[in-house]
Amino acid sequence: MGHLVTSVAPLPLQGGGLGRFIDPFAQFLTDITNLEPVLLQLLAFGLLLGGVYALTALGLTMIFGVMDVINFAHGIFLVVGMYSVWLVSETAGISPFLGIPIAAAVLFALGVVVHILTVEPIIEAPQQNQLIATLGVLFIIQSAIEILFTPDPQQVELSLGSVQVGDVFIPLGQFYALVIALGTMLAVRAFLNRTDLGRKIRGTADNRDGARYVGINVRRINYLTFGIGAALAGVAGGSIALFQRFDPFTGETYLINAFVIVILGGLGSFPGAFVGGLIVGLIQVFGGYYLPGTTAQVLIFLLFIGTLLVKPEGLFGGAEA
Amino acid sequence: MGKTLKSSTSNRRRFLKATGASVAALTLAGCASDDAGNGGGDSGGDSGGDSGGSGGDTGTTTGTPEQSVDEVVIGSNHPLSGSLAATGVGMSNAIKLAAMRKNEEGGIESLDGAEVTVIEGDNQGAQELGGQVSEELLSEGADVLTGCYSSPVTTAATQVAERQGVPFVISIAAADNILQGRDFNYVYRPQPPARRLASDYADLVPTVIRDGGGTIDTAGLFYINNSYGQAIRDSLREFLPEQDVEIVEETAIEFGASNANTQVSRLRSADPDTIIATTYVAGGVLLAQALQDQDYRPPYLTASASATFTDDDAVSDIGEFANGVLDNNYALNPTVDKTAEVRSQFLDNYDQEFSASVGMSYTAAEVIIQAVEEAGSVDPDDINEALKGLSYEDHISAMGAIEFDDQGENVNALGPVNQVQDLSVKVVYPEEYAEAEPQV
Repeated sequence: MGHLVTSVAPLPLQGGGLGRFIDPFAQFLTDITNLEPVLLQLLAFGLLLGGVYALTALGLTMIFGVMDVINFAHGIFLVVGMYSVWLVSETAGISPFLGIPIAAAVLFALGVVVHILTVEPIIEAPQQNQLIATLGVLFIIQSAIEILFTPDPQQVELSLGSVQVGDVFIPLGQFYALVIALGTMLAVRAFLNRTDLGRKIRGTADNRDGARYVGINVRRINYLTFGIGAALAGVAGGSIALFQRFDPFTGETYLINAFVIVILGGLGSFPGAFVGGLIVGLIQVFGGYYLPGTTAQVLIFLLFIGTLLVKPEGLFGGAEA
Repeated sequence: MGKTLKSSTSNRRRFLKATGASVAALTLAGCASDDAGNGGGDSGGDSGGDSGGSGGDTGTTTGTPEQSVDEVVIGSNHPLSGSLAATGVGMSNAIKLAAMRKNEEGGIESLDGAEVTVIEGDNQGAQELGGQVSEELLSEGADVLTGCYSSPVTTAATQVAERQGVPFVISIAAADNILQGRDFNYVYRPQPPARRLASDYADLVPTVIRDGGGTIDTAGLFYINNSYGQAIRDSLREFLPEQDVEIVEETAIEFGASNANTQVSRLRSADPDTIIATTYVAGGVLLAQALQDQDYRPPYLTASASATFTDDDAVSDIGEFANGVLDNNYALNPTVDKTAEVRSQFLDNYDQEFSASVGMSYTAAEVIIQAVEEAGSVDPDDINEALKGLSYEDHISAMGAIEFDDQGENVNALGPVNQVQDLSVKVVYPEEYAEAEPQV
């Protein structure tokens, strides 16, 4: 248990004034100059956290990109994914890793049902209608989970621990989530770019009316998109369950972060979601280490506002086709 | 379409509106309370279900002997849903159990056996609902109120009680400023407030460590970044130096955080003799997980007013790593038979853990019942006068007789030292409440 980190971030005690915010940046620059080992550790934590955030944003960006639907239920879809993995692991003794594709399948089915019952009937209505409808879905499913499983936190019985690479500790649960995020993103991109169905989805995203004129069954595409978006939430939730306790309300924090990431990366952009997630994760980790209190959150939203001012379409957003 | 499925200015605007709306909606729904969590020093619990008594109309408010009183109504203002509900349900159930036990004994003797009834209101852990729920409970006929687990919620809820001149006995809420500086006349707090908890930490925990032959010269604080965590932090800053303990690191965690890796990196860098955790249940679990992931543990892992290391389920989830943790917090008194009796009855009736938070709520309910018994009336002012002069010893919390000062604080409130031993939480200090020897 050697103490490999030599840099000590400034203690955010009672000191006030501008120095309270300038000193941490000076310390950060000093650490970079001195190549402090802690920087590598923080980088690893930032990438791991960012990977998880990116994973949670993929489904949200897909549904909005294709359907123009702001899916408030995304956060609770994450939670359903967590409970699905926990349930199959606890009751059937299935490995939580194998539970993740099961969670994706469950969420795909749930997504299609939710779409048929709540979104499809009002798909042409003003957008706030779908927003309210999905918000209602969130509360209904959240309450159902609370009734079924109580509000007590649950935990998958899995102790993955961490590995040490040089001076850097890597928590394996989050590492696997990062790998799953990368794999999922690549798989969905390949599906969208290299399959006929994927091309139809992209065509529908570009121009829904145009898609209809060329014979694409837009209604079917909507089902599929909502289902895939929900399945992505299932994968994300299932991955989070590998390393974090959860309750019916765990999805809320992730949902808010996912909204920020989607804007930051560009609406409908998978690479944007991934990079946006990494940026948010890195700022949270480095900011959390060097800045007092939770000032890192301020930095994230400053970047968010700055992006909107300088590149409103988001980092990876492009002009509408 | 390229890499982007769709992107347009109007879309972005709509999405931004939705983002703002989502935050607002989640907040309004009380689902993102900054004070949520599992109650260590601050929060309380939620209850589910109905009242412990007969329900129906409220007791009449009279102190005159010619008017009969059939029931006494306690209004329980706790988070029955939302992220605080896991503990909140247990706390409200504890109030119902206190009522049930009193009714089984024949009810309020001084009111000719009047039955104690509990009516419940769900504040969802949301500050904006604290006052509203108090109003509703009073309109439904509550004679006296209790709640609320979360300090911000309790701040709002007590304001209503004070304005309407109805006694409010806080079940759990640690923030000092709920009572201090508000000149309240109807609000009482049996539990130790944040300042007292921190003071007790500084007085007791270093003593336990030093008496055991250990050294504690430096400390690193790990706290939840809300009014409860900050209140404990501020008081520790004041009291620890008086015990020759220097704070060499402070790091905060947000409610709802997914991990504590960064915070532990800071603490590992400073390498203090002890880490002092002030968190709800989830925060302490994240701390333990991050410490293990970074293969680090200071010589003494301790906590002040943290819910995690007095919660059997959390301790079980953490596993062996939790053993040895010293935590000062309000506690159940293991030296009296009544504690085991109540715990057993609670488990039989509600199939829930009887944690220190739940036990503190039970004590608050008994304080109310005792005050009504002594008042011999359900008139709010009579109950209030009884509370002012109360000296209640027959309770199950590890502290002396409950007596309130002019501000409504319990002058004998205490945050004893608990230690996790063999994955079980035991009171180890002071000796008068100890059920096991501290293992340092």
